[in-house]
Amino acid sequence: MATTQPIKKKKIKVPQVVNGVPTEVEIEVDDVAGPTWGANDKHRLLNTRIPRSDGPAKTTGTAIYTFDVRLPDMQYGRFVVSKHARANIKSIDTSAAEKIPGVTAVVPFAKSVRYEGEPIVAIAAKTREAANDAVRAVVVEYEPQPFVVVAEDSMKPGAPQIFPPSNRRQVQGNADEVAAAFKDCDAVIDVEYRTKIMHHACLETHGVVVDYRGGDTATVYASTQGTFTVPGDASKAMGLKQSDVTCIVQHMGGGFGSKFGMGIAGLWGCKLSKQLGVPVKMMLTRRDEFLTGGNGPGSIQKMKAGATKDGTLVACHSIIHGLAGVGRANIAGQPYQYKATTFFREQTPVNTNEDASVAMRAPGFPQASFAIESLMDELAEKIGMDPVQFRIKNVTNESHKRQLLRGAEAIGWANRPAKAGSTPGHLKRGFGCGIGAWGGGGGPKCIVNLVIGRDGTVTAESGSQDLGTGTRTYVRAIVAEELGLGMNDVLEKIGSSKFGDANASGGSTTAASLAPAVKDAAFNARVALAKLVAPLLGAQPDAVTFENGKVLGNGKSLDWKQACMTVPAAGLSVQGQWQPGLSGNGAHGASFAEVEVDVETGHIRVVKMCHVQDGGLILNRLATESQINGGMIQSLGMALFEERVMDRRLGVMLNPNFGEYKLPGCLEMPELIPIIDDGDTREAVIGIAEPANIPGVGAVANAVYNACGVRVRDLPITPDKILNGLYPAKA
Amino acid sequence: MQAFEWANAKTAADAVRLLGPGAAADYDETFRPIGGGQDLHTTLKAYIHRPARVVNLKTIPDAGKITVDGNSLILGATATLTEIETHPEVIRQAPGLAESIHSVATPQIRNFGTIGGNLCQRPRCWYFRLEEVKCLKRGGDTCYAKEGENKYLAAFGTDAPCVITKPSDPAQVLVALNAVVNVLGPKGERQINAGEFFRMPTTDDPRRENVLAADEIITSIRVPLGQLAAKSTYLKFKERESLDFAMASVAAAVDADGALTVRSARVVLGGVAPVPWALPAVDAFLAGETLDEATIARAAEMAIEGAKPLSQTRYKLPLVRTLVQRSLTKLARSILET
Repeated sequence: MATTQPIKKKKIKVPQVVNGVPTEVEIEVDDVAGPTWGANDKHRLLNTRIPRSDGPAKTTGTAIYTFDVRLPDMQYGRFVVSKHARANIKSIDTSAAEKIPGVTAVVPFAKSVRYEGEPIVAIAAKTREAANDAVRAVVVEYEPQPFVVVAEDSMKPGAPQIFPPSNRRQVQGNADEVAAAFKDCDAVIDVEYRTKIMHHACLETHGVVVDYRGGDTATVYASTQGTFTVPGDASKAMGLKQSDVTCIVQHMGGGFGSKFGMGIAGLWGCKLSKQLGVPVKMMLTRRDEFLTGGNGPGSIQKMKAGATKDGTLVACHSIIHGLAGVGRANIAGQPYQYKATTFFREQTPVNTNEDASVAMRAPGFPQASFAIESLMDELAEKIGMDPVQFRIKNVTNESHKRQLLRGAEAIGWANRPAKAGSTPGHLKRGFGCGIGAWGGGGGPKCIVNLVIGRDGTVTAESGSQDLGTGTRTYVRAIVAEELGLGMNDVLEKIGSSKFGDANASGGSTTAASLAPAVKDAAFNARVALAKLVAPLLGAQPDAVTFENGKVLGNGKSLDWKQACMTVPAAGLSVQGQWQPGLSGNGAHGASFAEVEVDVETGHIRVVKMCHVQDGGLILNRLATESQINGGMIQSLGMALFEERVMDRRLGVMLNPNFGEYKLPGCLEMPELIPIIDDGDTREAVIGIAEPANIPGVGAVANAVYNACGVRVRDLPITPDKILNGLYPAKA
Repeated sequence: MQAFEWANAKTAADAVRLLGPGAAADYDETFRPIGGGQDLHTTLKAYIHRPARVVNLKTIPDAGKITVDGNSLILGATATLTEIETHPEVIRQAPGLAESIHSVATPQIRNFGTIGGNLCQRPRCWYFRLEEVKCLKRGGDTCYAKEGENKYLAAFGTDAPCVITKPSDPAQVLVALNAVVNVLGPKGERQINAGEFFRMPTTDDPRRENVLAADEIITSIRVPLGQLAAKSTYLKFKERESLDFAMASVAAAVDADGALTVRSARVVLGGVAPVPWALPAVDAFLAGETLDEATIARAAEMAIEGAKPLSQTRYKLPLVRTLVQRSLTKLARSILET
């Protein structure tokens, strides 16, 4: 009789993401040997360049996004949104809207509004055009209230208060000690950096198609970063059981942190579908997306830092404001990735009558990175030290030293002009760099069900959504590699709440949470199938191997399909869960930029960017390089173009569309050099989506200064700021 | 957009007839002609224009023909921008026009957009483009841009009650080349010099950007060919190369002999004023001068004299200086090469 040994437990720390912002919790897990990945350079499929399994569907337009869903009798939902930055709503007259042919529901729900664009009335109609007409036919009588939409105005004494007064000031460090330390510095920089409120600019706007035609069950197609964040709220909105609501997320057009939960569009999609008994599509218009789809916080960072001539960062004093709209904002603490002998930091959010800032790709980190990387360059120049060497002397993580040297070589750092603006002629070249770090670890949540059919089909199921990062492809690759199969021999099914549980995609935790569960499932499937096949081969189960579509043992082999004849009629069904040894935590990167500034026009051309990124075991090098490229492009946009512009008198956003909210286009693309740092030999999966987006903005800003000698401390760095710097107003 | 009646015009006269009853008390509600629709769609969707009828000009036979007639290039109003910029005679005889059109928007937009529509497109001022903001140009009583966010707006002519910039690119070249806009209305045809086709916003009427009546349409544009057109160029500075309007631009044309002695020259600025901003003082200065480095530098300095930038448009002055300097230098080189 077998004796049961108590399973040993161990405590580990894993990331926990709240509203896209990662924190850490300690959990207890079984201390048992499970599957391991093996050496990073010994994989057959993983860590190679694998084309996306959903690439053909996406490029040919057959991939169905929520926006593409069309169902019989489907109606179109829209919101009437506030025209005022702050107001009480005295009355809402819906009678004219209700009379428009095709309009089926006009439901007022708001009593007051805190920003322009806040939804007030939900509308449904049989055509999009009728819904649009109805929006304009609703007459809202506002009682405007004092508002403030610009951070400087909000910080003035007597400014309108958006929230009841409370002390939200966070302080760390000793200000007196820092003040004293400046006396020992050979160089001190005392300046203010600003970054603008930005938009996620998802190609697919927020929204849902809700299919509830009465009865007990409903389906919600959602553009969301979390399949499982939807059924709970949707079931409440429709008065159904949570288990009777299915959320479908087959493909989604970007979230970048803005799409947790189903949002207000989801809520009203559910309510209207229930009220009307037909499917309702409730997707935000592009303008509403800008006004009420969330945004990434801006920042005002007053920084004072000092260094000694030998390149030691001695003291760093920072007073930081996250510009949060009616939401919250946390900017990463300074001096971010550098060690200062002593530091003081103080952070207070600034609220305005604008839509809430929410998580946006590495929330608060690119903002902090821009400020500290600019500051590091300003200090390096003042003490006459090379910026790379100055950084190497002050980084806290060894990986950054390796990455800085690697990136410097790739960008051609040796060509960097020692003196800013010293290239001859009007086209001036400059170079800059920056570093960043992020968690990217995984945690226990995901359940993967894997079925091997008697016909040899292999299906791996997880409810996880593919945010666009390539989830489908690595799910396939992990299973195929474990079972000795090719990419086309495995089918992944994802994006349904009827499949195994999965975490929401925030904090770059998806791959590190899901991949281990897939590996575990594939490992379990291999062990189970080996047991069934072993007798046919006359081999011990643990001596059975899987290679090239064959199952081998005892000098014999079976084709995959022959081997699968051993499984039960219903298939061989196994489950996998996250295993602690399979994911790591801590991603580091360094970005470099080379730019050319035309000092006669202020035009900035980013010539080349490179980003060096570690990430333990790289599941798919092609997808990882693509992620790194995306990070660099988003950094370029933040550095040179993107900015939410408000009119302080009218309280409205002036550029709520892609014509005027400028994103970089094809002609703005530099040569992009994504470099995977294989010096990181951790045999563990780590998310890199966010870290790839952090240091590029500082690299571009520093390169611009190095090129033309104009230090722009207020993003975005646009031609007018360069020209105003080069040609100051005559006194 | 608001629902409207769609009317296909069979002839230019038919278009005028269809537009006839369209004059409305609110300028933005007048019937609108449509060519490629690349601007009108945006204003319709934003409810800036709310016409009860839209008259399609693309159904008029031959209305988009491009021909060379003696010493003139005739551009039918519905010729697409792509057709014009790729036309061999345009490239050969009026390179500045081809360059200006190539600088417009994106290939997709140029494939649809017409020359007539390009000249008549509405301003890009943020305040004008928001339905909820009833600015002076939309029948309100305030120009919010003057004291507001005006980075992309005027640096010249800012005494006007409205400080938009004219968004067209070819407009500058057409003014520089003394082109004539052929217009048809209920009383028949009239010819308007391109320089007089565009109008500054006035206190009496800040709403219109050109002299067309509600029931008039552009039928064609006649561009005189010759030395000036042959040595013309257009430089446009965009904040975002991929797709943008001009932060500043310049159309320049020079008729000079082989020794660079200028017989006549035209310099017209774009993206800096409510209309294509002609610089008669610069033109007069250049006539008779040798187009050398010093002359060009002087002309570039003169180009920004008289500018009155808004709070956020001072940067446009060094930009204009550079563009004028570069365009004249380019033309001088081109003249020396021939």
